[in-house]
Amino acid sequence: MPIGADLVLHEEPDPEQARNDGIVLGRVIEKTARRWATPLAIPLMDLRLEKTDLLACAGVPAADSEKYHFTSPLNESTIAALCAGETAPLCRGSIARNQALSYIASFPDLVPVGMAIGPFSLVSRLMPDPITAAAMAGSGVAPEDSDEVRLLWQCLRLAEAAVQRSVRSQIDHGARAMMICEPAACTAFLSPRQLKAGSRLFEQLVMEPNLRLKAALDAAGCDLIFHDCGELIDLMVEAFANRLHPVILSLGGSRKLWEDARLVPSDVVLYGNLPTKSFYSDGAMPIEEVVRRTTELVAHMKACGHPHILGSECDVLFVPEAREAILAKVDAMMACAA
Amino acid sequence: MAQESALYTAIVNGNDKQARAATAEALAAGIAPMELIQQSMVPAMDEVGRLFEAQDYFVPELLLAARAMKSSLELIKPLLSASGQKMAVRVVIGTVKGDLHDIGKNIVASMLEGGGFEVIDLGTDVSPQSFVAAVETRQPQIVCMSALLTVTMPAMKLTIDALKTAGLRTQVKVLIGGAPVTRQYAEEIGADAYCDNAGAAVGIVKNLLAKEAA
Repeated sequence: MPIGADLVLHEEPDPEQARNDGIVLGRVIEKTARRWATPLAIPLMDLRLEKTDLLACAGVPAADSEKYHFTSPLNESTIAALCAGETAPLCRGSIARNQALSYIASFPDLVPVGMAIGPFSLVSRLMPDPITAAAMAGSGVAPEDSDEVRLLWQCLRLAEAAVQRSVRSQIDHGARAMMICEPAACTAFLSPRQLKAGSRLFEQLVMEPNLRLKAALDAAGCDLIFHDCGELIDLMVEAFANRLHPVILSLGGSRKLWEDARLVPSDVVLYGNLPTKSFYSDGAMPIEEVVRRTTELVAHMKACGHPHILGSECDVLFVPEAREAILAKVDAMMACAA
Repeated sequence: MAQESALYTAIVNGNDKQARAATAEALAAGIAPMELIQQSMVPAMDEVGRLFEAQDYFVPELLLAARAMKSSLELIKPLLSASGQKMAVRVVIGTVKGDLHDIGKNIVASMLEGGGFEVIDLGTDVSPQSFVAAVETRQPQIVCMSALLTVTMPAMKLTIDALKTAGLRTQVKVLIGGAPVTRQYAEEIGADAYCDNAGAAVGIVKNLLAKEAA
C-alpha cells in the first residue's frame, strides 16, 4: 500500500476545504485504505499541524505559522506557558484529523492510525537554522556559550510537549496506532562524523524524546509506526528498530530494506520503500523502472524472510501535471505484489 | 603565510571564532583582503567540498565551515567595498513560489559565498516575478532555484518561462536543485544545470561560467 491519502484528497472537488472538514477527510482516509486494500487507515502526512498548534499558544496566527521561526532564546515563563498549552484550541487541520479518526474508528475492519511529526523534526521547523545549531551542539558548544544552541534545547522542550499533546488528543479520538514522522533525524541534520567522535546528539535530540513518546503510546495501548525517510546510517536504523521497537518501521528509498532486515528485530515489520518522490517524472523514474525495483524488492524481502509491507518511501503527493503518471506507477507497484 | 594557514584551518575545521581571529590577524599584518579570499578562504571551502564528496564531511560540517567563512567575510567585505573591489560573480538564489523550505537553499548559498561568489538570497516562496525583478536590477550571472516538494517544482519552469518572456533568459545561467529534482527535469524545463548536493554547487557554477567564457 502507498501512503496515498493526498492522492485521494485531490479527487475531492475542493481539496483544501476537505483537508479541514473532519467528515470529508475521514471519508477520504477510508477510501484510501479501501482502494489499496489495507486495514491501516493512514491519514494525510501533514507535518505542519503540531507547529501551528504550538505557535497558536504563542499568539502566532495559523496563516503565519509555517514561516515563523524562533530567532532568540525564550524566557522560562514563556517556555512553561507554551509547554502547558493543553487547553488552547487546536487548529482546523488538527480538529479535522481528530474527527476523521473518530469516523474511521466506527469501522471495525479499519485501524485508525494517527499521525504526528517527531519531536526533533518539529524542532527543525521552529528554528531558522537548526542544522548549524545542532552541529555546534554536536561539536561541544554549550547552551551557555551560544544563543543558537540554547534555543535548540529550548525548542526541543517545546516540540516534545507539542507532539505529546497531539498524540494524546489523537488517542482520545480513537487512534490505535500512531505514525511518528522523524525525517530530520538523518545525516543531513546530525553528522555521522560527530556521532563517531562520541557526540550524544542523536541520543539527546532524537532517541530520548522519542523513547518518552513510545512510553506514552505504550501506556495508552497505542502502537508506534515510526517513519524516517531521511538519509540514515546503520546506527540510526538499529536504534529505531531495537530501542523504539515500533510495530512498523518505514524507511526512505535510500535504504535497502533486505539489508536492513539484519538490523531489525523479526517482530518489527519493515514498510516501504519505492522511490515515490520521483514518480512524477517519466524521465527519472519510468514505469519499467518502478516494476524492476518493486520486483527486486519483493524478491529480496521474500528471500530474507523479514515481514514486509510493500509501499512508498514517504507520502505520495499529488502533483497536478503528473497525476496520471503517479497513479499508473503506484498501480504498477501494487500489481507486482499481487 | 601563518595567518592564512590559520584561517584555512579554522574554516576547514568549522571554527568561526578562530576564523575571525585569524582574519583579523592577517589583515593587521597587511595581507590584502582579496588575497585572503583567494589564498585561504576559497581553497578552504574547496577542501570542505572535497571532504563532503568523500563522505568524510556531512551537511553539518558544511554549515559549520560556511559559518566560519562568513565570520571571516564580515571583516573582509567592508574593506573590499571601501577599496572599490567586488566579488567577480553574482548569484541570485531562492526557493520557488509556494515552497517554504530553506535549508537546502541556505546551504547552497553558504557554499557559493564560501566559493567566492556574491550571493543575493531572495529567501523562500519567491515568485517568478521576483526572480525576474532581481535579475533586472542586480544583474547576476547565475540564478539558483530550490524546491523540496514535487508540488512546487512546476514553479521552476514558470520562473524560467518568466525570464524568457522578460528577455532575460540568455543573460543568466539557471541552476536548479532540491530533493525531488532530477537532471531529466532540469533538461525538460530548460534549466542549464542540476545540482544534487550542496557540496557540488560551487563546482557546477564554475563549470557553467567556464562554458560561457569558452
